[in-house]
Amino acid sequence: MTETDAPTSALVVEEQETRPGFIGTSVPRKEDRRLVQGEGVFFDDVKRHGMGFVHFVRSPYAHAKIVSVDVSPALELEDVYGTLTGDEVSILTDPFFEMSVPPGSEIKDYALAVGKTRFVGEPVAAVVAATRELARDAAELVEVEYEPLEPLVDARRAQESDAPILHDEAGSNVVWEGVFDWGDWDSCVAEADRVVRIKELHFDRFSSTPLECSGCLVEFNRGTGQWTMHCNHQMPGIGAIWMAPALRVGTDKLRFVTQDIGGAFGNKICLHPYFVACCLLARKLNRPVQWTEWRTDQHTANAHGNERWFEDTEVAVKADGTLLGFKTSAIDDCGAFPRYEPLGCIIWAQVTPGCYRWQNVRVDFTQVVTNKSPVSPNRGYSRMQHLWFTERVIDIVANELRLDPVEVRKLNYVKADEFPWTTPNGCVYDSGDYARCLDIALELVGYEGIAERRRDAEERGKLLGVGIGSTLDSGTNNFGQSQLLNPDLQFSGNNEVATVKLDIFGEVVVTLGTVPQGQGHETTAAQVVADGLGISPDEVTVRPGHDTYWNSHAGFSGTYASQFAVTGLGAVKGAVDQLAGEIRTIAAAVLGGVPEDAIELDGGFAKLRDNPDAAIPFMGIGAIVNANNAILPEEARHVTLNCRYVYVPPFQVPDKERKYGNLTLTYASQIHVCVLEVDPETGAYEIVDYAAVDDCGNRIHPQIVEGQVHGATAQALGAATHETFTYDEQGNLLTPNFYDYHVPHALDMPPLKTGYIESASPFTPLGAKGMGEGGGAGIHAVCAALQDALRPVGNPIVYDSCNPPHRVWELISNPQDSRGRVAVESR
Amino acid sequence: MLLASVEYARPRSLDEALSLLAANPNARALAGGQTLVNVMKARIAAPDLLVDLADVPELRGIRETDDGLELGAMVTYTQLARAEEVHRERPILAGVAAQIADVQVRNRGTVGGNVCSNDPTNHLPPVLVAVGATMAIVGASGIRLVPAEEFFLGVYLTAVGPGELLTGISVPRRQGGDGFASVTIGADGTCIANAAASVNGNVRVVLGCVAATPVLVEVPSAEEESVRSAVAGAELDPPLDIHAPAEYRRQLATVLAGRAVRQATGAA
Amino acid sequence: MSEPAAQKTISVEVNGATYEREVESRRLLVHFIRDDLDLTGTHVGCDTGNCGACSVIVDGTLLKSCMMLAVQADGASIETVEGLGADGQLNPLQQAFSEHHALQCGYCTPGMLMSAKALLDENPEPTEGEIRRAIQGNICRCTGYVNIVVAIAAAAEAGT
Repeated sequence: MTETDAPTSALVVEEQETRPGFIGTSVPRKEDRRLVQGEGVFFDDVKRHGMGFVHFVRSPYAHAKIVSVDVSPALELEDVYGTLTGDEVSILTDPFFEMSVPPGSEIKDYALAVGKTRFVGEPVAAVVAATRELARDAAELVEVEYEPLEPLVDARRAQESDAPILHDEAGSNVVWEGVFDWGDWDSCVAEADRVVRIKELHFDRFSSTPLECSGCLVEFNRGTGQWTMHCNHQMPGIGAIWMAPALRVGTDKLRFVTQDIGGAFGNKICLHPYFVACCLLARKLNRPVQWTEWRTDQHTANAHGNERWFEDTEVAVKADGTLLGFKTSAIDDCGAFPRYEPLGCIIWAQVTPGCYRWQNVRVDFTQVVTNKSPVSPNRGYSRMQHLWFTERVIDIVANELRLDPVEVRKLNYVKADEFPWTTPNGCVYDSGDYARCLDIALELVGYEGIAERRRDAEERGKLLGVGIGSTLDSGTNNFGQSQLLNPDLQFSGNNEVATVKLDIFGEVVVTLGTVPQGQGHETTAAQVVADGLGISPDEVTVRPGHDTYWNSHAGFSGTYASQFAVTGLGAVKGAVDQLAGEIRTIAAAVLGGVPEDAIELDGGFAKLRDNPDAAIPFMGIGAIVNANNAILPEEARHVTLNCRYVYVPPFQVPDKERKYGNLTLTYASQIHVCVLEVDPETGAYEIVDYAAVDDCGNRIHPQIVEGQVHGATAQALGAATHETFTYDEQGNLLTPNFYDYHVPHALDMPPLKTGYIESASPFTPLGAKGMGEGGGAGIHAVCAALQDALRPVGNPIVYDSCNPPHRVWELISNPQDSRGRVAVESR
Repeated sequence: MLLASVEYARPRSLDEALSLLAANPNARALAGGQTLVNVMKARIAAPDLLVDLADVPELRGIRETDDGLELGAMVTYTQLARAEEVHRERPILAGVAAQIADVQVRNRGTVGGNVCSNDPTNHLPPVLVAVGATMAIVGASGIRLVPAEEFFLGVYLTAVGPGELLTGISVPRRQGGDGFASVTIGADGTCIANAAASVNGNVRVVLGCVAATPVLVEVPSAEEESVRSAVAGAELDPPLDIHAPAEYRRQLATVLAGRAVRQATGAA
Repeated sequence: MSEPAAQKTISVEVNGATYEREVESRRLLVHFIRDDLDLTGTHVGCDTGNCGACSVIVDGTLLKSCMMLAVQADGASIETVEGLGADGQLNPLQQAFSEHHALQCGYCTPGMLMSAKALLDENPEPTEGEIRRAIQGNICRCTGYVNIVVAIAAAAEAGT
């Protein structure tokens, strides 16, 4: 750890022309005041009189029949309020909606295990008591009789004839399978000078483990049949779509209320099973019911990121390093229940060729269940796995063909003047300049002087390596891609909602449909509104969090898929533009019937551009519409000053036959370079230099963007070096808490240098692109750097996304093993 | 995260603490709590009674004697890392204590707790064996002194019997040099493997993490290669876990023993 | 205090105010602070004492309140995040955190601030390495620690 005074500040290159106004400046965050005083309201901070605390009885088996559940011993304890079992759940609710086609569609997924348990930690019963401790005491008294079954813990075995079947109704462990075939693989092989074959690459199971665990406090109103959930669900739109039919109610009976959320990163999307259990308990016991997930619960029984195997990859290459195409078989392990899956089976196709100009791609994709925790869209969802694959491919190809890793990337990158670029499957990369970003990153780590640093490291007995990780952060989903998996699904497009209103006293108040978990939505929304109305962000009130009752949301509302800057702020922009127009309408009418374009909004006033003394303060506008509307002419009376806007991105339903079409609206990019030193005797390594260069189009709030780059990179470095959800043969998770699952702390972090360019998106209201998931590049860069470092000691191949010291040492001590995975055929 | 019901007492003297422990076979001494509270959260351990040693004066403090240092069992890692006497008389203890976990844990965790819990990955057991420390155990029958290399009996098992307490650790004054090397989970994290060495004419090399208790290895000399060979030939049977297959731990033990000795001879 | 008991009455001072409550001996200090005293600024992030979100200062010592029983704090003086500022005014550390974007979701922030306070109380001019060491026991999943280190250095410069 080098001692320096302060981390190097960001290198900013090539911003767009300076824009007047608040968009583009790093204004103070509105969220901070309450959070630094400990006055944030996270779900566990909410209390209700008489509330009961939930503790779940969880399965100790990865796979077992549930023979019987006896809750009576628990109910005998004083101050135990009640229980819930799988039998009750199967009677009171319908199974959750499944998105796949048969056999995956036949899976029955309930709030508690019904008849069978399929992963260690799966909730089997629930107990509610007066205190947290008592609820746990009581839960330990519940007697469950199990008949253990053989567990399936290796996705590669899931389709073997003797593999245990998890879901009898489905009769198969396959959730979804299909072949993606674009371009012409057979021709491109014929054209190739070399075919590089890679036997198996493995993207490991991990997750972003947000510091705040999941949870809810649920109240049930008997008179109205309304549930109110104070919670941290990050995508209430889809949460309601799952929960409402299961509970046999309309979606409006489910009120989601969030305020502050301690990180989510995709891990708070599939909370509906727990929430349904709590809803049933709140209704049954006629009292508010509170559930707090503990860390061990989050690791064992909430959600992991997808684990993916890439088998029998073949890459067609020209002698000069031009990549012509690739073919691979992907096996995706989604854990015991699909839930948000099988969307991961298509989401990767948003970035089919990665950053490269490949035209011919064939992917055989199979998703299977295993007796592990279910997955959910962990940060980078499905694209990260695929982009790691494309980066490993180009890195291995460069290694085997002795090509310069920088030059081979630049040769194959989509070029700056080729945007918008259409990929082999019809996705449109909006803008970017990957080569430029790479150059900046290389400069930040002093790449010119690498040879000398290598020699210096060698003298100290260390092996130095440099690696590049290129990634794309595709943002704003077209949910029509789900139809490429299941043509009967009625999902397409996307939407987000915002409301901006001017109140009777001239207050500007904003409500969002999104669900922020630290991304600064209140602040950036205020910036957009401020610029739209000619006021300052301090004069804009943005209600924190999400509330169904604001009616400021739509079916896809939430915070996920790197889309807020586009969908959320697109909705805010639409609403504020509408409001500005309405203010001008009123002002024009009141200021003597002038045309609306003679009015400008400035400093909280609506003024006549030609005679600024003729001005009405916003308070006056608000008062007229709310309390004095008889003075208005007929043509101005439609104005409400309460503008709700639904942003809908310009998508079409993709072509289901060819699996072709635009699946995402924006493509931010991040290019990382990692320099590390390996201790060859122990396999331990230290990252000694690191650069991350981001391009997310027009940055609304540069400091927030930088914060996201830092955080995403830290998570990637954790995933690259330590974080893995490893299971033993019985299906027990060996990293169930932070003691064994090591996440980076302040001493683990390398010096982190950042750079930025802004390639505006031509497709979005503000030229901004969603961002925040691009840090996956860190995993790619570390793998590449390790491979580079180990070249002198047998040239092993890095084939796993997570490389803790023992794996590095294995690569060093037995390079033939990993080298055996790669073969080069010359044609 | 939620403990089972337990009784709590906070005695004011060593005698009071001992009689509480003797009266209840399922009582546990509570030192810094940085291990015990954790296992109680998981309900792996569920004592009936916690005897909090915080107010027992006999267990506190670091004293310098003619022979070296006397460490009270309730001395925290932070106190050990900062004590001027320790830096002067046996700096390896301060250096190692400063690497344990993090600030919050060091402020509460105690040397007594570290040795009595005898988690095979703990830092202090191999170091104390290497420096030839002596443990003072007090019970109803009085005080007995146990050399460190006889103190550790098994995983979480030491020579402290029911109704007894470790009251202090005597560390001889440094004569030559000491060393400690480790590979950890993250910077300054839990040890995957560690080795302690003390060179003073003869050489003591002690391996942690490779067995239930610290392993004292016979080495022919302080020369690094000979130390490595001795460890490589020591027929270790290290445990396998997610951080290290057995073969890897064996490899680490070899390398770290050599590095610990190298540090010790450099410091002599 | 020497009599074994599963339930005790304790008296603790928190941020200058004294509270007397009856608690189960098994109740963790963090739950006592959050649930019994309604001071919800201190957070729970894990169940093995690794994350530091629960960090508070007890009798001048920084520690994790999930690794201590409430009964152990009988008679102690505790400082939590709610006591850092005064009358809604942010102290220099809190100001610096906001200015330098040292928080995103804010969940680790209270614990982080207490660790930073403990550092600066003892070492008003820390190096970057000392700052990182001081917050090693506080996990953040949002920021990568970069801005947190900058903020603490800035607060040190400004003088707490």
